[in-house]
Amino acid sequence: MSELAIKHFDMEDISNVINLGLIVIDADSRILLWNNWIAKHSGINEADALNRPLEQVFSEPMSPAFLSALKNTLAYRLPVVLSTALHRTPLPLYNAFEKNQQQSRMYQSISITPIQSRLDESCSLIQVTDSSTSIKREKMLRSHSEILKKEATTDSLTDICNRRFFDAHYKMAVADAKRQKHCLSIFMVDIDFFKAYNDYYGHIAGDNAIRLVAETLKLQISRATDIVARYGGEEFVLVMPYLPQKIAEQFAEKLRKAVFNLAIPHINSDPFHQITISVGVCTGIPKNGDNLLNKADAALYQAKQKGRNQFIFLPLCETEEYLEQ
Amino acid sequence: MPVDSSTKTLLIVDDSKVSRMLIRTHILSQRPEWIISEAACGEDAIALVANDLPDFCTMDINMPGISGTEAAEHILANHPSVKIVIFSANIQETHQERARSLGTILVAKPVTEKSIALALDYFDNAQ
Amino acid sequence: MNSLNELQLDALTEVFSIGAGRAALSLSEIVGDEVRISVPSVQVISSNDISSTTLSLNSGRFGAVSQNFSGPFNAEALLLFTEEQALKIVSDMMDSQMSLEELAEFEHEAMCELGNIILNACLSAMADILNFTLDSSLPNYTVASADDILMRLKKNTNQPYIMILHIDLAIENQRTAGNLVFLLSSASLTNLVTHIDQFLDPIS
Repeated sequence: MSELAIKHFDMEDISNVINLGLIVIDADSRILLWNNWIAKHSGINEADALNRPLEQVFSEPMSPAFLSALKNTLAYRLPVVLSTALHRTPLPLYNAFEKNQQQSRMYQSISITPIQSRLDESCSLIQVTDSSTSIKREKMLRSHSEILKKEATTDSLTDICNRRFFDAHYKMAVADAKRQKHCLSIFMVDIDFFKAYNDYYGHIAGDNAIRLVAETLKLQISRATDIVARYGGEEFVLVMPYLPQKIAEQFAEKLRKAVFNLAIPHINSDPFHQITISVGVCTGIPKNGDNLLNKADAALYQAKQKGRNQFIFLPLCETEEYLEQ
Repeated sequence: MPVDSSTKTLLIVDDSKVSRMLIRTHILSQRPEWIISEAACGEDAIALVANDLPDFCTMDINMPGISGTEAAEHILANHPSVKIVIFSANIQETHQERARSLGTILVAKPVTEKSIALALDYFDNAQ
Repeated sequence: MNSLNELQLDALTEVFSIGAGRAALSLSEIVGDEVRISVPSVQVISSNDISSTTLSLNSGRFGAVSQNFSGPFNAEALLLFTEEQALKIVSDMMDSQMSLEELAEFEHEAMCELGNIILNACLSAMADILNFTLDSSLPNYTVASADDILMRLKKNTNQPYIMILHIDLAIENQRTAGNLVFLLSSASLTNLVTHIDQFLDPIS
């Protein structure tokens, strides 16, 4: 406790109002602290517990697992947890004591932590929670964290990975490829004349088109190592390891064709009057200083220059290009 | 060379070199006159015993190839005079039972002065 | 420190085998069945080289139990299971018949306990054999992709080397078997090596 807290509160008051069982025992298992919560749920008051060995205070036995956990904490000063799932009711504690009624023990979660007394003795702090409440809390936390996790990495319009996820994944994929010297392919994809589509059909139709293209791109990948992400606006990016150049080119063509086959009308897109994509591909084994993403972007620019609805491949390394010529 | 009657031979079987070194050091500090040989797996142990019968043997359980308990069973079937102590970190009931049924004892690792004392005690009383 | 020599690695393997034996004993007391745990290998690798691929982990989600240790050296120990395996182990360890959905509610805490048993067993074996004690935090359980977990580990410790143990765990009559990965990362594995050398000195 901070000095400030010590000045304003009595430690004992806090331990007695806290909604959690607290027991402290010394190295000989003598009870040094027995808070109200424990008194209430064990039916044994503090005066009857203090200074007595823990084993003798309860009239019913404690579980063998609890006893060996306690022994371990004292011997090695390592903290121990006893979960409800595996132990249920290590200590004879009850939710309430009602006369003439058969009660069943409270489900408990227990942790035992080594602590040092002011006299430098090794003691153990035993914390007990009623696990019916923690089960509920965990349920809430779990669903909350899953939503957060998904929101943090998913693009809300298209439900594919977002830019943030891509940035992190790209960095890792490049590092892996560098280290293991395998090749990596980046596909930059852009919807042709998208501004004109939005202007003519409206933003809602524009969003729908983006969603459809995203879905179509996603359907083309099947390996766990591959990802497709929304890079920004009407731009998408795919990261795929282990593809030889020829396969990467075939895959780029597959992407182009799949979107073409959607046949989404686009009156202001010459000459096909439907939505098409341009694709820039770069494949290679990255070394220091190489930038796959820039190369793929340059390839995309060339595809636009050369008339759109097509892919352009650029190798990562210039020498590879010369070798092929 | 005259051999003192207190001179005994011990075979240490353990795949860990460190473990063999540890057992050897502890034993020699208590019984400096003993002659110690080593094997790194059950198969080697069986071959060594057939060649040069030791008085005593310490046996690890988890080793590449056949397990220590299998090796111990094999050795005792052919050379019942060898006294074997099984040294293992795994002291679950099934292993204790198996050791007992073979007529050996199971001593818990780690190898310390205390566990070595248990082994020596067994060797002494088995004579 | 560049890496550990053969004898130092052998000493560590022995320490962790004993830890595994102790963990197996504790677990067998809980499940009432024989539990086999073995440590086939201990490696020390450069943290730059660590990734889900080098650890041969697949791309699924993993449960990770972590504990922070402090003392002669500070370390973060991490135990990784696949989420699927985690649930299977927990369901085998529990005596009651529960649906997988109900089970998931208990997973968090039960995995903390399972991890805690294995981590503490390894640490207590270290304490007994290498003769030092470490203070430890309570275990923490997270579920994430292997790469996320490893990235966090690298960021937290900023150390050049990470110790890796592959642990095989099997519950005899349930036909449950799993491979766990145990990672120990520390800014100063050097101090651990000093303790190993002090242990090896009188016997070599």
